[in-house]
Amino acid sequence: MRDDVRAKLDSLPPDERVLLRPLVETSRGFYVVAALLAAVSLWGVFAYYLQVRYGLGRTGLNRPSYWGIYIICFVFFIGISHAGTLISAILRVSKAEWRRAITRSAELITVLVIGFGAIQPIIDMGRPDRVMNVLFHAQVLSPLLWDVTSIGLYFFSCTLYLYVPLIPDLAIIRDSGIKAPRLYAMLALGYTGTPVQRVRLERVIGVLSIVVIPIAVSVHTVIGWIFAMTLRPMWHSTIFGPYFVMGAIYSGIAAILIAMVILRRAYGLENYFRDVHFDYLGRMLLVFSLLWFYFTFAEYLTAFYGGEPGEMRAFWAKLTGPFAIPFWTMVAGCFVVPLALMSRQATRTPRGTLIAGIAVVIGMWLERYNIVVPTSVNPRWEIESVGQYLPSWIELSIMSATFSGFILLYMIATKFVPIVSIWEIKEGREAVQEVADRVARYSGAVNPEAVGDA
Amino acid sequence: MTPTRREFVWTMGAAAALALQDPQDVFWTTEGGAEDPGWAPGLEERHNSACLICPARCGIRGRVVDGRLVRIMGNVLHPMSQGGVCPRGLAGVQMLYHPERLASPLVRVGSRGAGQWQPVSREGAIALVTERLENLRVAGRPEALALLAGYSAGTMQDLWRRFLHAYGSPNYVADDYDDGTDAVMALMHGIRRRPGYDLERADLVLSFGAPLFESWWSPLQAFASFAGPSGNGEARRRFIQVDTRFSRTASRAQEWIGIRPGTHAVLALGIAYVLLRDELFDAAFVDRHVTGFDDFVDENGRQREGYRSLVMRNYRTEEVSAITGVPVERITRLARALAQRRASVVVCGPDVTLAPNGLVAGMAVHSLNVLMGSVNRPGGVLFAEDAPLEPLAPAVLDETSNVGMGKGPVGGARPPFGAGDRALRFAEAVAGGAGSEVEALFLYYANPLASSTHPEVWRAALAKLPFVVSFSPFLDETTRHADLILPDLLPYERWQDAPTPTSYPYPVWGVARPMVEPHAGGIHTGDAALAIAQRLGGSVAASLPYESVESLLKARARGLFSANRGMTLGDEFERRHQRQMQERGWWLPEHTEFESFWEELVERGGWTDLFYDDTEPSGIARTTSGKIELMPAALLGELGVEEGTRRIYVDVVDDDAPAGDDYPFRLIPYRVSTLASGTLALERWLAEQPGIFPEVHWVPWVEVSPETARELGFADGTTVWVVSRRGRYRARLKVFPGTAPENVCAPYGLTSPDGDAANPLRLLDGSSDPLTGLSSWHSTFIRLERA
Amino acid sequence: MTRWGMVIDLDRCMGCAACEVACKSENNIATVSPDQADRGRTNSWMKVMAHVEGEFPHTEMQFYPRPCMHCDNPPCIKVCPVAATYIDDEGIVGQIYPRCIGCRYCANACPYMVKYFNWYGPEWAESERQHLNPDVSVRSTGVIEKCTFCHHRLQKAREEARVEGRELREEDYQPACAEVCPTAAIVFGDLDDATHRVAELKEDPRVHRLMEDLGTQPKVYYLRARE
Ligand SMILES: Nc1nc2c(c(=O)[nH]1)N[C@H]1C(S)=C(S)[C@@H](COP(=O)(O)OP(=O)(O)OC[C@H]3O[C@@H](n4cnc5c(=O)[nH]c(N)nc54)[C@H](O)[C@@H]3O)O[C@H]1N2
Ligand SMILES: Nc1nc2c(c(=O)[nH]1)N[C@H]1C(S)=C(S)[C@@H](COP(=O)(O)OP(=O)(O)OC[C@H]3O[C@@H](n4cnc5c(=O)[nH]c(N)nc54)[C@H](O)[C@@H]3O)O[C@H]1N2
Ligand code: SF4
Ligand code: SF4
Ligand code: SF4
Ligand code: SF4
Ligand code: SF4
Ligand SMILES: [Mo]
Repeated sequence: MRDDVRAKLDSLPPDERVLLRPLVETSRGFYVVAALLAAVSLWGVFAYYLQVRYGLGRTGLNRPSYWGIYIICFVFFIGISHAGTLISAILRVSKAEWRRAITRSAELITVLVIGFGAIQPIIDMGRPDRVMNVLFHAQVLSPLLWDVTSIGLYFFSCTLYLYVPLIPDLAIIRDSGIKAPRLYAMLALGYTGTPVQRVRLERVIGVLSIVVIPIAVSVHTVIGWIFAMTLRPMWHSTIFGPYFVMGAIYSGIAAILIAMVILRRAYGLENYFRDVHFDYLGRMLLVFSLLWFYFTFAEYLTAFYGGEPGEMRAFWAKLTGPFAIPFWTMVAGCFVVPLALMSRQATRTPRGTLIAGIAVVIGMWLERYNIVVPTSVNPRWEIESVGQYLPSWIELSIMSATFSGFILLYMIATKFVPIVSIWEIKEGREAVQEVADRVARYSGAVNPEAVGDA
Repeated sequence: MTPTRREFVWTMGAAAALALQDPQDVFWTTEGGAEDPGWAPGLEERHNSACLICPARCGIRGRVVDGRLVRIMGNVLHPMSQGGVCPRGLAGVQMLYHPERLASPLVRVGSRGAGQWQPVSREGAIALVTERLENLRVAGRPEALALLAGYSAGTMQDLWRRFLHAYGSPNYVADDYDDGTDAVMALMHGIRRRPGYDLERADLVLSFGAPLFESWWSPLQAFASFAGPSGNGEARRRFIQVDTRFSRTASRAQEWIGIRPGTHAVLALGIAYVLLRDELFDAAFVDRHVTGFDDFVDENGRQREGYRSLVMRNYRTEEVSAITGVPVERITRLARALAQRRASVVVCGPDVTLAPNGLVAGMAVHSLNVLMGSVNRPGGVLFAEDAPLEPLAPAVLDETSNVGMGKGPVGGARPPFGAGDRALRFAEAVAGGAGSEVEALFLYYANPLASSTHPEVWRAALAKLPFVVSFSPFLDETTRHADLILPDLLPYERWQDAPTPTSYPYPVWGVARPMVEPHAGGIHTGDAALAIAQRLGGSVAASLPYESVESLLKARARGLFSANRGMTLGDEFERRHQRQMQERGWWLPEHTEFESFWEELVERGGWTDLFYDDTEPSGIARTTSGKIELMPAALLGELGVEEGTRRIYVDVVDDDAPAGDDYPFRLIPYRVSTLASGTLALERWLAEQPGIFPEVHWVPWVEVSPETARELGFADGTTVWVVSRRGRYRARLKVFPGTAPENVCAPYGLTSPDGDAANPLRLLDGSSDPLTGLSSWHSTFIRLERA
Repeated sequence: MTRWGMVIDLDRCMGCAACEVACKSENNIATVSPDQADRGRTNSWMKVMAHVEGEFPHTEMQFYPRPCMHCDNPPCIKVCPVAATYIDDEGIVGQIYPRCIGCRYCANACPYMVKYFNWYGPEWAESERQHLNPDVSVRSTGVIEKCTFCHHRLQKAREEARVEGRELREEDYQPACAEVCPTAAIVFGDLDDATHRVAELKEDPRVHRLMEDLGTQPKVYYLRARE
C-alpha cells in the first residue's frame, strides 16, 4: 500500500477504515489463491474449447442421459443465487435490523453466480453458435424460454439491486480518494447523501426489494418447471416449483454462511459478522432444513403411493439402487447435519454454521444430481434398457472452472466494493431509536410517553 | 473419465474428417446448417435383381441415383421373398461401398501374410494366373490345381466345375452348406437333396431346431408363408418350435418347447410313439408307400424289428420325457396336434444332423413326416426341382484332362453317406503331405482361416501351397495369405444367377444383374475364369465357349424359354394365374422371341415355375423299392443288419453330460440373422445391433441364464473367456433369461472391432458323425473365465 | 383432414429388424464407433425393442418396433425453445435441423425416447457417402434427429401426383420401414381416410398405443392379441 493511501485510510472513521481496507490492501495469500483459481478456470475454458471443437460427444452424456453435470450446475448455481437478493430483499422488506451487515455479501453472490448459472445451458448446448435462435425463433410455450426471460430479468434486477444500495458506499470511496477516484466518481453518480438523495435512494431500494422477490421466486419455479413439464418419471410433479424455490433459498443461505465465515476470517470482520448473525442465519437454516425434509418427504411419499411403475424404477434407483449413496448423502447433508447442528444454540457458531453450510451446499448439489441423473437413466418405458452416466473429465473440468471462476470473481469483487454496506451499518447505528419505536409498536407498548421520552 | 486411447484416436480421426469437410459448413453455420453436399436432382433408376449375400437368394430391387446404389428394397415379384428383404440384404449398400474394398488386383511382394502388396492391372493378373496354369498343364500335372469354393450354387459353380474338369483337375473342393439333411433324404427317399417345405399351405409346422425366422436356408420364405403380405398373419397359430434355446424363432412360435440339447430325435420318436399307440398316423400312406415299418426277416432268415416295434419298445412317453425334459402331457399334445391338422409338416433343423449320430437322428425326426404321410402333398415335404436350364456346352476333353481327372481328388475319401467336411479333409491331406501334388489353390467365396473349425490345419496347408489365388473383394483372413488377389465385383455390379435353395419347394431362377458401374479395380470372377480359359486355349477354351458370364446366363436361359412351363417373375395375380393354368394342364407362351423373353426375365429379376405336380409318384420315393425306406437298405448294408437295427431309431440321443467340473456348460453355437456366414466384419449398420439386444453392439457376446451369471458372480457385460479343451476366445457376457442354466449360447464368429475373431466353432471338441463326416456342433463343453 | 399414422401388428412382427436397417439406409443415419456405441450414442430412428419375460423354459418375448409416435399432442414440441420441432397440419412431427440449438429438451420431454442426438458430427468414409440418399439431408453435429415418417417421400409422392394430375393414393406414400417389412406388420396411411387400411386396422379389437394414459395421442397404433 502506498503511504498516501495508508494515510488516507487511517484518517477515515473506524467503519470505513476496516471495511475499505481490503480495497487497497491485498495479502500474498490472496494472490496465491487467485492464481490457483485462475488456473483452474483457464483449464475449464480449454476443456470447453475441446468440447466445442469436437462436439458434445466429449461429455459423458448419452441417450437416455441427455442431461448431466451442466444442467445440475445450472440448477445449483441459479439456486445459490437466491442467496442474496431474495434473502436480503426479504430481510429488508421485513426490516430485520440484523440484515445490515450481510446484505452486500449476499447480493454480490447473487449477481456473480447468476452469470455462472446462466451460461451452463449454453455450455450444454449442441449448437452454442445458434444461441441467438432463442430470440429469433422464440417459442413461447417452452419453459426454457420462460427461463431465459426470467433469468434475464432476474439478472437485470439483481444487478440493479446490488448497485443501488452500493451507491452511497461508492460515494464514500470516491470521497476517501483511496482508489481509482475517477471510476468511483462515475459509479457514484454524484451521490452526496443529501436528504433528498437519501429519500430517493431508500424509495428505490424499497421498490426493488419488493420487485425482486417475485422475480426470484419465478426464476426457480420455472427451473423446476423445466423438469416438471416433461413426462419423465419423478420429474413430472407439481411440487417442483415451490420445491425448487425452497431449495434455492436453502442453498443460498448456506452459501452466504460459508462466504461470511471466510470473509470474516480473511478480512477480520468479526465486528460486523457477529455471532448473532450466525445464530439468526443458523435458525433460518434450521427452518429450511425442516422445510426441505417436508418437501422431499411429500415428493417421495406421493410418488411411492402412486406406485406407477415408471416412477418406481427411478424411485428405487435412488433409495436402494445405484443412486443410494448420493441419495442418502444428500439426506445427510440437507437434513441430518444441519438439523443436528442448527437446533442447538451451542453449535450455531461460525464454525458450526460453516460445517452445516458446507453440508447443505453439497447436499443441495447432490439433490440436483439426484433429480437429473436417476430419472435420466431410467426411461419411463420398462423395455428400454437402463442407461448410465459418468461425467467426463471435460464436464468435471468445466464444473470446477465454474466454481473457481465464481470464487475468483467474488474475491476480486471484494477488492472493489466494501463487502459490508458501510452506510447501512452507519444508518443502523443511527436507527436505534427508530427501531425501538417500531418494536414498541409491535409489542403494543401502551405508554406513548415512555416511547416519546426514549 | 480420461479418454481411452481409442477415443483419442477416434477423436483425432473425427477431427480429420471434419477438417476435410468445410468446417464452416459443419460447425458454425446458423442458417442452412445441415450439411449440403451439393446434391442436385439426379437421374433415378430402379432395377430388379437378386441378393447374393446368403443362400436364400431373395429378390431385391435397387434404387440407383446418378449411378450410385442408394437403397436396396425387396422385389415384390419374387415368389419366395415377396418383396421382403432381411437386414443383411439391406445393408448390401454398405458392403458395396465398403471403405475396405480392395481397389485393384494385388500381387504379394513381401513374405506370405506380411501384408505387402503391389497393385497390378487386371490383364497382368490374369496373365500371371494363366502362366502358372499353363506351366502345370505343360508339366502334365493339371491335378495340381485346386479350387476351394464357398456357396456358389448355380452357374458359377457349374462354370468352375467345368473349368477344372476341362483343365484336368478333380480338386473342386466345396466348402459350402452341407447340413446332412440331403443324406437323410437320399437314404429314405432315394432323392439326394435338401427337403423343401410347403410352409405356405401347412396347417401346422413343427420345427426341430430350424431357425426359420433367423438364418435358415430361406428365412424370407418363412416370413412370407406365415405372415406375408397376402397371408392373414396367423403365423403363430400354426407354428411350434422345438429348440434348446429361446431363439427369436422360438419367441414367435405359437409354442416353444425348450428341450435338452441333442435330444430332439428322442422327442420326435416319443411323438411317433403316441401316434403309433393311438393309431393316429396315416396308415394308408404307410401301407402304400413305406417299407421298414413292420418287423421283417433279413436275408439270413432272422426276425428283425421294424420301425413300429423299435419305437413302441423304446420310446414310452415317460422315458422320453425323462430324457428330453419335455413333460409327458406336452408330448401327447404335440402328437395329437400333428394328427389333427390336415396338413402338418415337421422341419428337421440342420442341427439335428450336426451331431455325432446326426444321420440317424435326422431320420428319426423326418420319420414323423413319413408317418403322417406329409410327403409330396400340399403342406408337406416337397422335393423342389431345378430350373430347366440349358446345360453348358459339352465339355471337350484332351489327354491331359483325362489323365488329371483319373487321379482322384486329394483328401477325397468320402464317408459313406455324405461329403462330410470336404474342405477340412482336403486341408488335412495337403498339410500332412498326402496332397503334395497340389501346387495352386484358388479361393472363391471361401475364407477357411476364419470359418473352419480347424484353422490351424488350414494354416499348415496354406504354408505348403506355393501359389494361392484369392478372388475375394476384401482382404479377409485367408486372402491375406494369398500370393495374388483378383478382387471379384460385388453382387450389385455383376451378372450371376441366383437359384433359390431347395427348402423353397419351387424352382426360382433369380438373376442378379449389374445395377451400377463395376468398380474399376475389380473383375467378375466368372469373367476372369472365362478369360483365363480362353488364354489357356485347347480343351479348356473349347469347353467354355463363352465371352462373359452375361452371355453364358443368357445361353442357359434358352432352356427356360423352351421348357414350355413356368413364367418370368410376376406379381401375386400372375403367379396365381400361372399356377392355376398349369394345374389344368395349360401353358401359354408369353413370348415368341427369346430376346424379349430374356429382356423381361432380366427386368423382372428371374424365372419361376410355381406348379408342383403332387400326383407324380417319383416325388415320394426314387429308391429301388419305389418306397420310402424307414430302414434304408443302404444304411443297413453299410452298418450290417445286426448293427443297423441296433442303432437306427435307437442310438439317436446325444446328451452326454459334461465330463467333470472343468467344463460345466454346453456350448450352443447359433447364427444371428445379421451374419452372412460371418467371416467378414459386419456392415456398420448391422454391427450396431447384431442380435436382439439393443445394448449389444459390435463386440461378440455369449448368452447365459441369470442363474448361471449369479452362480459365477459375473455381471451383464463382463468380458469373459469362453474356454474349451481346444481353445478359447473372448466375448462379452449377456444375461438372457431364455437360456437354459446348463447351456451357453454363442453366436458364430462375430469379429470384434479390434480384429479378434470370436468363432465358437474353433472350440468344438472335434467329434463328428462317421456316417456323414459332418462335425458335431452341439456336443462341446466349455467354461467361462473372467477376462 | 389428412392424419398420417401407422399400425404395427405385433402378432405378425418377427423382430427381424429389416425396418430398422431400411430406415437407416433411407434416412442416412450415421453409425458411431464401437466405443461410442458402448456409451449409448447409437442412432436408430426405428428401433426393434424386445420385451422378455420369464426364465427358461417359460420365456416369452414380444417385439416392439418403435418409430416416433408422431403424437397428436406431442410433448416434445411444446418444450422446444426455438420451434425446431413442430407438428404439421397433417400430423407429422418434424425437425428443423438448421434451427435446433441442441438443448435436448425435446428428447427429455418425449416419453418414448425416440429423439436421437448427434453427439459428434456424422462420420462417413468417403466411399460410404456414395450410398447416401440424396432426398434426405445429412445432419450436422449437435442437433436432434428422429423419425420423420419419411416425409421426403410424401413430398416426392405429392409432386408426382401433381405432375400426373391425380390424387395422392395410399400406395404412393409409404415409408421405408413399412415398405420393407417382410411380414407386412407395418401398415401406413391416412388415419382419417376410411379407404386406407390403417383407418380400418386402428379399430381392430387388438389395438393399443404406447403409454396411452399420458395423453400424448400417438399416431402409431400397435396390434397385439391379449392372451
Ligand atoms: N442369416 C444367415 N443365414 C444363413 C447363413 C448365414 O450365414 N447367415 N448361412 C447359411 C449356412 S452356411 C448354413 S450352414 C445354414 C445353417 O443354418 P442352421 O443349421 O439352421 O444353423 P444355425 O443358424 O446355426 O441354427 C442352429 C440352431 O440349432 C439350434 N440348436 C442348438 N442346439 C441344438 C441341438 O442340440 N439340436 C438341435 N436340433 N438344434 C440345436 C440352435 O438353437 C439354433 O437355433 O444357414 C444358412 N443361412
Ligand atoms: N466365424 C464363422 N465361422 C463359420 C461360420 C460362421 O457363421 N461364422 N459358419 C460355418 C458354416 S455353416 C459354413 S458353411 C462356413 C462358410 O465359410 P466360408 O465358406 O469360408 O464362407 P464365408 O465365411 O461366407 O466367407 C466367404 C468369403 O468370400 C468372400 N466374399 C464375399 N463376397 C464375395 C463376392 O462377392 N465374391 C467373391 N468372390 N468373394 C466374396 C469374403 O471375403 C468372405 O470372406 O463357415 C463355417 N464357419
Ligand atoms: S435372406 Fe439372404 S438372400 Fe435374402 S435378403 Fe437376406 S441376405 Fe439376402
Ligand atoms: S421389418 Fe417387420 S417383421 Fe421385421 S422387425 Fe420390423 S416390423 Fe417386425
Ligand atoms: S413420440 Fe416423442 S418425439 Fe415423437 S411426437 Fe411423440 S413426443 Fe414427440
Ligand atoms: S434439441 Fe433442438 S429440437 Fe430439441 S428442444 Fe432443443 S432446440 Fe428444440
Ligand atoms: S417412417 Fe421412415 S423415418 Fe420413420 S421409422 Fe419408418 S423408415 Fe424410419
Ligand atoms: Mo454352412
